[in-house]
Amino acid sequence: MRKDLRLELRSGESTLALLALSMLVLVVLVFALGAARVRSVDAAAGALWVAMVFAGMLGANRALLAERDNGAIRGLLLSPLDPATLYAAKLAAALIFMAVAEVGAVVLMVLFFNLEFDASIARLAPILVLGAIGFSALATLLSAITGRTRGGDMLLPILAVPIFVPALIAGVKASAAALAGAPFVSMGDWLKIMIAFDVLFVSVGYLLFEHVVGGD
Amino acid sequence: MSAPVVETHGLAKTYGLAPVLREVQLRLLAGAGAFIVGGNGAGKSTLLRMLAGLEAPSGGRALVFGQDTRRLAARYRRRIGLMAHQSFLYPNLTARENLEFYAELYSLADPRASALQWLGRVGLAEVADTRVRAFSRGMEQRLSAARTMLAEPGLLLLDEPFASLDHDGAESVAALIRGALERGACVLATAHAVPEMDGVEFAVFELSGGRLTQHPHKEAVRRGGRIRSLLGR
Repeated sequence: MRKDLRLELRSGESTLALLALSMLVLVVLVFALGAARVRSVDAAAGALWVAMVFAGMLGANRALLAERDNGAIRGLLLSPLDPATLYAAKLAAALIFMAVAEVGAVVLMVLFFNLEFDASIARLAPILVLGAIGFSALATLLSAITGRTRGGDMLLPILAVPIFVPALIAGVKASAAALAGAPFVSMGDWLKIMIAFDVLFVSVGYLLFEHVVGGD
Repeated sequence: MSAPVVETHGLAKTYGLAPVLREVQLRLLAGAGAFIVGGNGAGKSTLLRMLAGLEAPSGGRALVFGQDTRRLAARYRRRIGLMAHQSFLYPNLTARENLEFYAELYSLADPRASALQWLGRVGLAEVADTRVRAFSRGMEQRLSAARTMLAEPGLLLLDEPFASLDHDGAESVAALIRGALERGACVLATAHAVPEMDGVEFAVFELSGGRLTQHPHKEAVRRGGRIRSLLGR
């Protein structure tokens, strides 16, 4: 993971792309929704999660791209490194990239949707963390599969978004409730769905990564 | 008698309906050197990848250090060094950072010192802090050789180790191979033609039509055409 962060700090390509993409999505949605809906927390939460999903896909793809250059992934698989540890490192790297994108997206959401920087924004944090873990786990696993195929970059969103839908709906609903000032107890069911999604896809990724990333 | 480092029994590989390797039998002991020669697409790289455990055989078995390569535990993987066509290096890291990264993966005691030592051995000490993306193909090949041998593996699988190298580069890689054989490592390399290296005699195998046949070393070096001296002087 230290190597991934060093590569990213050196180029800054992923972080800049993630922030630019988040901004683009939010700007498009603000104009699409129009002034009447721009103060709606539902619209703000939806726009935030759309930006996050796009940014998350980019982050997960980038995290494995460095390993595809010069076949470095084979060097890792041949080393004594446990493939599950490799998955954990890639997941952590994707999570950090997504967290950076989330912070940027939240700031842009507050500005574009005329919200206030108050306690309701802080209440988004655990929801966004849960969403980032689930999406990073899913996208890291899928990018290991799609990275082995021609046109894999295009395949990733086609596979990832439909699978992420349950967590996406839960995230949007919980975020809208948090922005509206509702207590965490009232969004318990949505949070449970997100936790279950996280546990499922972190476990599946941990168990399957070795089989999907290796070989030809 | 010591156990073989490499042993294959009826090893086969098929891509789709096309057989690449058929009934390959190979047995190499520690300290042995062997070259596999053959034309493009003969299956040399495929065989090395299967021995490294990176590709599953379609039939037969490959054993390395007595372990089936389909499921090599970490303690056996660390004893295999594979130098493939791809260098396994990170273009945006420097030469030293690349070797340090791999030295850390292999839990070497002092990654930085190991990296600098191996850079010196392949004649890249002066460009230690240059990013690999700025390297020529030959420099990258030298660095790839250093990466392969960094952890002093007991089995070296070298896919065309002299490709893209100038005379000095070829000499430094040849010296590394000699050193590996002297410390008892088993070296299995591929080439389009057999290299002649001072003081080292290799078993020579030819891979053709998916089948592996052995030739006496001197005869193989003497023969023209597909099997001839690459570094002959």
